[in-house]
Amino acid sequence: MTTRRVVELDAVPGLGGLYGRGGVGSARLALARALSREGGRPLDAGALPAVEYAVHDLRASTAHLTAYQHLMGEPAGDALPAGFVHVLAFPVATALMVRSDFPLPLVGMVHLANRVDQHEVLRHTDALHVRAWTEQLRPHRSGAQLDLVVEVRREGATDPGAPPAWRGVSTYLSKGARFAEDEAPAERPPAPAVPHGLPTAVWNLPADTGRRYAAVSGDRNPIHLSALSARAFGFPRAIAHGMYTAARALADVGPRRGPAFSWTVQFAKPVLLPGTVTLRVVPRAGAGASRVDSALATGGYDYTGWDARRGVVHFTGNITPSDA
Amino acid sequence: MPAARREPTTPTGTPTRRAAVIGGNRIPFAKVGGPYRDSSNLDMLTAALDGLVARFGLQGERIGEVAAGAVLKHSRDFNLTREAVLASALSPETPAYDLQQACATGLEAVVGLSNKIRLGQLDSAIAGGVDSASDAPVAVSDGLRRALLTFSRARSARDKLAALAGIRPADLAPSAPTTAEPRTGLSMGEHQALTTAQWGITREAQDEIALLSHQRLATAYDAGFFDDLVTPYRGLVRDQNLRADTSASKLAALRPVFGTHLPTPATMTAGNSTPLSDGASTVLLGSEEWAHAHALPVLAYVVDAEVAAVDFVLGRDGLLMAPAFAVPRLLARHGLTFDDLDFLEIHEAFASTVLTTLAAWEDEAFGRERLGLDGAFGTVDRTRLNVNGSSLAAGHPFAATGGRLVATTAKLLATRTADTGRPARALISVCAAGGLGVTAILETA
Repeated sequence: MTTRRVVELDAVPGLGGLYGRGGVGSARLALARALSREGGRPLDAGALPAVEYAVHDLRASTAHLTAYQHLMGEPAGDALPAGFVHVLAFPVATALMVRSDFPLPLVGMVHLANRVDQHEVLRHTDALHVRAWTEQLRPHRSGAQLDLVVEVRREGATDPGAPPAWRGVSTYLSKGARFAEDEAPAERPPAPAVPHGLPTAVWNLPADTGRRYAAVSGDRNPIHLSALSARAFGFPRAIAHGMYTAARALADVGPRRGPAFSWTVQFAKPVLLPGTVTLRVVPRAGAGASRVDSALATGGYDYTGWDARRGVVHFTGNITPSDA
Repeated sequence: MPAARREPTTPTGTPTRRAAVIGGNRIPFAKVGGPYRDSSNLDMLTAALDGLVARFGLQGERIGEVAAGAVLKHSRDFNLTREAVLASALSPETPAYDLQQACATGLEAVVGLSNKIRLGQLDSAIAGGVDSASDAPVAVSDGLRRALLTFSRARSARDKLAALAGIRPADLAPSAPTTAEPRTGLSMGEHQALTTAQWGITREAQDEIALLSHQRLATAYDAGFFDDLVTPYRGLVRDQNLRADTSASKLAALRPVFGTHLPTPATMTAGNSTPLSDGASTVLLGSEEWAHAHALPVLAYVVDAEVAAVDFVLGRDGLLMAPAFAVPRLLARHGLTFDDLDFLEIHEAFASTVLTTLAAWEDEAFGRERLGLDGAFGTVDRTRLNVNGSSLAAGHPFAATGGRLVATTAKLLATRTADTGRPARALISVCAAGGLGVTAILETA
């Protein structure tokens, strides 16, 4: 494994500026591809820059935290929801993708999946140490995929070997990117099935859902903001942020998840806005679950969000308490 | 010189005494947009209260405490019950408080006040509830509300302008109350549709409950049962929703309105679901001594109550299934079974709520796995269930239903005891939003 060079940033970069730079970088990469006879240099697994970004003493503002909690239906306490930590630290990871030596265009990146492992609750008074890097560039049947890894520790956490309080892995697809050797599995995995059981919730998402999540997450990708701006990128209407849907599922499971848990999501078909998402959350049987008087102590929860009218799954995932 | 020490009228440490239901009064329940459309919660609660005062000669009387509530409440009605007392003929020295437990508000008011009477804290009390679906509060949006609050806090003209400049056109859209559960986004009807599917309740069984409810309520009105329980208001003398002439075929012709997107057949219609309603009810409670001192009758006693809640958020149990857990606990505490009950009043939020509750009690697996029993809890004798009709026919102004049930049940018990010369016992069960349930036992002795 190559050693990463650590670059200390003074502060979390603004996502707006990053998208601007990402647009320029994407245009540059597109131009290089168009001019090159082979249609751009094929990728290999070592193409990602061996760089890690770090930010120290990051703190959440109360107003920002409260706005996020109110939007997602999380209790507005001093604990940082796992999805909020993602929002706080995500610009650091995005900054890696607009570097001039990053081999893939930021524009058009598709969020395939996300995984968060929360080992302990971070609080709004904590000073945070954020580290971010990219890794695992690998073939995908329609391009290349890679992982953005973010680790968040409480500043001054003494044991360097201990797992980070929060670790997030976001898997992205860059469509059309080519690998030196075509190792990608050509076959498309089967689409996730619509659950048979009865729904547990129905989300009626108004047309401004993307704009409202953009306001708390800073992710103002035009595909989320309006039908007009989404159409420019090939979507019939604006689409919901994937992390908005995953974080709402996390909020629906609520305090049952415990302080330490893993939270995964795989995104399938996008949620068009305005729209209705049907959700089903199924507890997994776990040791120690008393049948008569307790709904707690299960082995975690599997969730699926789908469009009941079209019979199409939007996302699947699970939330598993660490002690399950 | 030390002040003379008075003997306490209720010595501490004495056993509790009994809380009596003396009577009740309500206004007929109206449909949303009906004859009460211009009446506020305060208007209707005052009307019901004044009818009670007139019925029992309580003019100028200082009642120990009045407790009532509304589910859909304007913010200006923060002291709704006290305002109703001040507007009524009761002594202005009658204290009051508001409470709210969704559809269980009225029954919980009876339970709480009865407990105070049993403890000797009160000698007399009035429980009540009111709701108006016609005059429901419509709030301004969060954005407009925040801008207006910032405006009112701003000192300078510039800050005030800045606050108003923050208002967006979308903020001007009003925010109306909904019956959707905050955590699931599902309306109460859609929740019950899930429970209906879970327990496999048929359309026919639901329509049968609805038909019986109308027939029985109409018969009770015709027999004069409600003559001393209901006071006409705004030209209405009977519950507006009551259709004495409805039939199985009319009910069967209605289109399903809930559960239409489920994989199971949709069975819940406007006929076998309660309508949005306006109305108010009150119940007069007291110690036996107080009743005797005022030459008032005792219809029945509030013996005990049990509350429960279910984890409906992730669908383990249906939203309205909490009474399925409360009732077995309540009966067990008194060593009773269904056979020991002369009457059961199970609030008909939907016909299928009654049926899913009965189905759970008849289910072996539910009894063993969820109630911790050896088998099924038991089967209810339908001839003792909602004998004078219930919410499907009468309508259901949320907080007013508890008072309707308690007054009706107390009179049924008193009548039964007068006929047979033996004590009679009844169970009241009310489900409520939030996965709540409140149940109580009333008896004559």
